[in-house]
Amino acid sequence: MTVELIRPGAHRAAPVLKPLVSRDCGPEGCEIDWLASRRHEAELDIESFTRFAGEQGWGDGLPLVPPTDARVRTFLSLNDRYPDEVIGALPGGVSCTVEKIVINAVMAGAPPESLELLIAMVASIADPDFELYGVNATTAPVYPAFVVNGPVRHQLDIPMSYGCLGGVPGISASTGRAIRLIMRNVAGQTTGGTSQTTFGSPGRIAGVVTGEWEEKSPWAPLGERRGVSGNAVTSFGTMGTMNVIDTTSHSARDFLEMVGKSYAYVGCNNFSGAVPFGEALIALNPICAEIVGREMPDIADVQEVLWKFASVDADYLNKQHRDQLEGQDRIRADGRVYAAPEPKDMLVFVAGGLGGLHAACFHTFGTSLSQTKPVASVTVAEHAQAAE
Amino acid sequence: MAVGLVLDPTAKRADDIAHAGPDAGSLVGKRVGFRVDRMWRAWDWISELWAEKFREAGAEVVFWRSAGRSGDEGERCEREYKAFIESIDVAVVGLANCGSCTGWTVRDAITAANAGLPTTAIATANFETFAHEIAARGGRSGLRVHVLPYPLNEQLKDDVLPIGEAHFDGVLRTMGASLTAREKAA
Repeated sequence: MTVELIRPGAHRAAPVLKPLVSRDCGPEGCEIDWLASRRHEAELDIESFTRFAGEQGWGDGLPLVPPTDARVRTFLSLNDRYPDEVIGALPGGVSCTVEKIVINAVMAGAPPESLELLIAMVASIADPDFELYGVNATTAPVYPAFVVNGPVRHQLDIPMSYGCLGGVPGISASTGRAIRLIMRNVAGQTTGGTSQTTFGSPGRIAGVVTGEWEEKSPWAPLGERRGVSGNAVTSFGTMGTMNVIDTTSHSARDFLEMVGKSYAYVGCNNFSGAVPFGEALIALNPICAEIVGREMPDIADVQEVLWKFASVDADYLNKQHRDQLEGQDRIRADGRVYAAPEPKDMLVFVAGGLGGLHAACFHTFGTSLSQTKPVASVTVAEHAQAAE
Repeated sequence: MAVGLVLDPTAKRADDIAHAGPDAGSLVGKRVGFRVDRMWRAWDWISELWAEKFREAGAEVVFWRSAGRSGDEGERCEREYKAFIESIDVAVVGLANCGSCTGWTVRDAITAANAGLPTTAIATANFETFAHEIAARGGRSGLRVHVLPYPLNEQLKDDVLPIGEAHFDGVLRTMGASLTAREKAA
């Protein structure tokens, strides 16, 4: 039997943090115009601009902040990045520069202090192993979910407790929306055009941007376990969020059995014959995590149990599906099909409110592999004033 | 109402190749490469059918099957595909029959076309416009795309094979190919 295992691309160079270089493009203006984007004449009140942006195909249907020179320069001046710095290559061979990130961030209402997080988020989805080419185009509803680690969670007030996956006012919504606008305007994802998504998803407006509640986790932070200590962001191409309730279990194994079995529904991409391999992302609430952590202080044990239960008996599948998976060597010697190739591919983090009771599952698109990137220190200049 | 200038949030590549690339010409004596995948059995059936006709006309036919495109597996695929297109004279790349697989079909077709090969992408009707859009975004708006009916993969083999038969002359036209030796002699 040859199961296709997930191994990160060996040729990928380790990410290098960009040194802080310049504040040339302050609100007072620059001697050289660093901003290379085309200018369009538009009415600058929000209603008119939103209508204009909609006509241009730039928007998501919600009100947009006009990205004037002054706003974009102010945003840049509060950070330490040159606008022409290329952060990654997006589908179609398009370079995503800091300037394009800032313009879309301004439109989304994201604050200047979010720039380093946004840059790390873009770098993560631009990694070839994230496979944005497929994520952008697919009939699936997939969108990137982001888990943030490190002190930056507190500096940016990223939710990691109640409602952390959506609904908390603040920076999660605006940064998530900025990424979605970048995917539209720079990566070229237009629904019904370059995106064939059959149903889409509410997550395609503002995505998911959550912190890991590291202080409540019995295990090392997710980013650290994936090789990036401190400030880090992990992207995962998710088909949505799926809630798991368990008001009954007492032991670690019982909780994990419930979560693992719930994860394993046969219509998810993890079990599709069209998907050679996929990871799984699971959020355990702090109460459950504490119980599990007492019995399983090694996260590898948690992953092992989740992996074991996130599987189905091959006989549960109808013949056509079973034959296809058998042809791909995905039915193991125990007669089961597993959601992920190995226990290490079950990614776990701790977040959520203290009411406990629930876990959250994120199902993979497939070969879009999660990426963890460092987030540079947030050093918003305090002296700069808003230009408008 | 205040009017002012706003910065364009979009980015597109500036270059484009609007022509279709070279015709395949006579297939006699040429090595024709089919790019297939692990999703669409209908494309397996049709490509085998067309391959047999190419062989009967004197072409050599080889296949390459796309798999996972990320991680180690993706790197292996990249290496294999590069070697594959270096080993063939004509590329037939499919199947664009879903979102991501259209993306990858067109991307692989562009890679072959950019290598100078006569290249034709195969799409089903529902994904035809999408295939052209992706090709344009990838810098080859003139990419040849032959269109099969949709839905296709949902049909039984006995229904799919006649579709392949019916489209054989059409795909030859899209490829700019013939089964005679005349072009070769010329």
